[in-house]
Amino acid sequence: MSYMDNTTKKRVLREGVIKSIWLATALISAVAVAFILGHVICTALSGFLFNTNWNPTGTPPSYGIAALIIDTLLVTLGALIFSVPLGLATAVYISYVAPPRMRDVVKPVIELLAGIPSVVYGFFGMIVLGSFLQKALNIPSGACWLAASIILGIMALPTIISVSEDALFAIPKDYKEASLSLGVTYWHTISHVLLPAAASGVSAAVILGMGRAIGETMAVMMIAGNAAIIPNPIWNVLSPVRTLTATLGIEMTEVATNSMHYYALFGVATILLLITLLINLTSYWLIKRMQTGSCLPDRMRNWTHSEGMRVAVAAVAGIIVVWFLSAVLGILSAVVITAAIGAWYFGREKISPKFAEKSSFGIIYACTAAVILILAIILWDIFANGLPAISWEFLTGRPKQCGLAGGIFTAIVGTLQLVAGAILITLPIGIGAAIYFTEYSHENLLTRALRIGNDLLNGTPSIVFGLFGFAFFVIYLNWGTCMLAGQICLAFMILPTIIRTTEEALKSVPNSLREASLGLGATQWQTIRKVVLPSAAPGILTGAILSVGRAAGETAPIMFTAVVFSKRFITRDVFDPVMALPYHLFALSTTVPDVTTQHYGTAVVLIALVIAIYLAAIFSRRHFQKKLFR
Amino acid sequence: MHSLKYFSKVSIAAAILVFVVLAVGCIDAVDPDIITVSTSTTALPAVQALIDAYMDNHTFADIQTKYYGSGAVVTAVSFGISDIGMISRDLAPSEKEGHIFKESVICHDGIAIIAHPSNTVDALTLADLKDTYQGKITNWEKLGGADEQIVLVGFNSASGTRTTFNKMVLHNEDASETMLEYNANGAVQRIVANTPGAIGYVSLGYATDSKVKSFTVEGIAPSVTTVTDRTYPISRPIIMITNGEPTGLAKDFVEFILSVDGKKTLANHGFAPA
Repeated sequence: MSYMDNTTKKRVLREGVIKSIWLATALISAVAVAFILGHVICTALSGFLFNTNWNPTGTPPSYGIAALIIDTLLVTLGALIFSVPLGLATAVYISYVAPPRMRDVVKPVIELLAGIPSVVYGFFGMIVLGSFLQKALNIPSGACWLAASIILGIMALPTIISVSEDALFAIPKDYKEASLSLGVTYWHTISHVLLPAAASGVSAAVILGMGRAIGETMAVMMIAGNAAIIPNPIWNVLSPVRTLTATLGIEMTEVATNSMHYYALFGVATILLLITLLINLTSYWLIKRMQTGSCLPDRMRNWTHSEGMRVAVAAVAGIIVVWFLSAVLGILSAVVITAAIGAWYFGREKISPKFAEKSSFGIIYACTAAVILILAIILWDIFANGLPAISWEFLTGRPKQCGLAGGIFTAIVGTLQLVAGAILITLPIGIGAAIYFTEYSHENLLTRALRIGNDLLNGTPSIVFGLFGFAFFVIYLNWGTCMLAGQICLAFMILPTIIRTTEEALKSVPNSLREASLGLGATQWQTIRKVVLPSAAPGILTGAILSVGRAAGETAPIMFTAVVFSKRFITRDVFDPVMALPYHLFALSTTVPDVTTQHYGTAVVLIALVIAIYLAAIFSRRHFQKKLFR
Repeated sequence: MHSLKYFSKVSIAAAILVFVVLAVGCIDAVDPDIITVSTSTTALPAVQALIDAYMDNHTFADIQTKYYGSGAVVTAVSFGISDIGMISRDLAPSEKEGHIFKESVICHDGIAIIAHPSNTVDALTLADLKDTYQGKITNWEKLGGADEQIVLVGFNSASGTRTTFNKMVLHNEDASETMLEYNANGAVQRIVANTPGAIGYVSLGYATDSKVKSFTVEGIAPSVTTVTDRTYPISRPIIMITNGEPTGLAKDFVEFILSVDGKKTLANHGFAPA
């Protein structure tokens, strides 16, 4: 610096100062623009997005949905804490640990868990879990965040298990063999090679499970207490909460059409759609990564592998788990459990690999057993209490005394009519779309966009279909509540499943068959009709049956559009309303105070119907799989 | 192609099943006469009893019911979704705009204040109630009971019972945000019956059960008698509305409700005469 004399130094300094002054002015203008824009947007949204007071009938009314969004996220978080460990452990069990015979038992059990209608989960949560929590924890009301999270966690389990199982299944066998041949234990292979390799798929499973929990309406509405408040303090899992979906479910039929409140509910639905859109796009991206074979992107991998990041994640997860445990089991047991986990985490290097393997497998067995036990408890409670109600009169009579006496014949037939109509509408459209995707088009921008659209439709919460049906068919087209509106809403809901399963079925037909047919001089349509479709038929059939099962158990899409509480005769005109089993169960359990065998009887019939449909699907799949491999 | 044969068998069976289901509706020889009644949940048990009684004597009548909050009942009737509506509050002036509703008061209903049977408090004043529902009193001790936190149970925002309660007890001020909200009397009653610290408000017909106890308000116990002579302070009319003059089955059913038999049925369900 000796060559720089004093004046030069000063000049450099002055230049620097001047430069920073101009920079500051430039910044001010940028900040001002950002501030003005931000302020305008904030003010515009402050009454809606950032306002925690949802009180549409107050004077003056207030339509703040911040509390609803926060509650939705909290309930979902709770559900994930419950379901992710259980689900992952079960998926690992099914993929790697279970002997083939056990796998054949556990997989259908998981599918049955997925088949139980959400209104039955809500009924079980309200009657059994709610009062159990109330007595066990000695709290004023069992209708709370914790109850909702547990039930939603159970409902998210099948999604998490089946998607992560697919991800684990897709990992090349070489990985496992290479690892084992190095002499490490099986558990080490699973935990350090296979699970990390399936990371994208497993995260997609968690995110899809999250979407399932966020989009659920009926169960949450029946057990969460529905007070539009943020829990105080925020980790108070025993506080009642109200989610976005529950708000729609409760208030949609209750508001005057075209009032401010009505529009506010559509605002709620928009936010709900945006959240699920985000979730679905994320899972779409993750699954895409899994299919192209890459794991997490490099940057993210470095990130997850850095020691600091791991400690931070572990700390956050630890704190969250301690919240939950301390609320559920009391501070003392929470500390003990946390200490045990901590001791394991820091001491694991010293534990012999054999012991680590044994204890980990022990935990995995326990988790799988817990999942099966949950299903057993639910089914046992419903069937033990409901079977006495089943009689000829119950199955063939019409409801009397608000459903406390008489039968449910009109509801059974109504449900069958709804799903029959829905499947008649979707099957041609769904199969047609799938044929276009697989047979006529090559991967291009249009098909990719259409496919993403289909995936997004698949993740749309069922209540949104109901909302749309109510606003469009019932009010705008002035059809009134009618069977056709419900059938169309259900059809939209199951359309993505039909398209996807048909596509899979068509793709599984070997190309050699097509080429042989075309080579014999058949046209493309002849090939599709005589060769491709018949070979794909079993897959299409299975998909269709599964969709029928799902439609039969749904309440939210038909609640506003198609059903009445009671009705004497079977509906003959598509423009007349129907009774339906899931709605009947919901209506009975929320309006009629005493829990009677009639409630349980309705639940039994509903579950039996849905399970019968699912079993048909499982059997037809087995039947054809055996055929194909013979 | 074995699977093809099997598939065609299955699909034919499925098609037959679908066809049978759709056809079952047409087996009945008669063409039923259908109307839809929308009712607030308050009047649901009584309305359902009226309908059961009416349909027993009219073989071809099919009177369907839907239940909502009172606000939605008005919407349903004005959009023609329902032929008859039962609401548990007065029609608001804004609701009457553009429609000619025919209104008749079919009965009066008290709103009972209920709690868990183990509760030792017997009497409440309207002021106590207001403070409790606004979260100013949070423990039963302050009302002369045991040291137990009060759990507020109420209705969701579209309910006529809530509107009446807010008007007569809270003077149109907001209830505490911690209030649990349900959309039916039955649900409120069950929560209160299962929750030792709860307080709730329900239609009188839902308070007669031994699973809950009801408080005297300003010294008056809720009953058909005290609602009839209007000494019980919290009551409201149940109003039947139709969009214009009813015709056909709707007209016949409306006449049945207003007849002696209809009034008897209403009284049996805890409603006081109009």
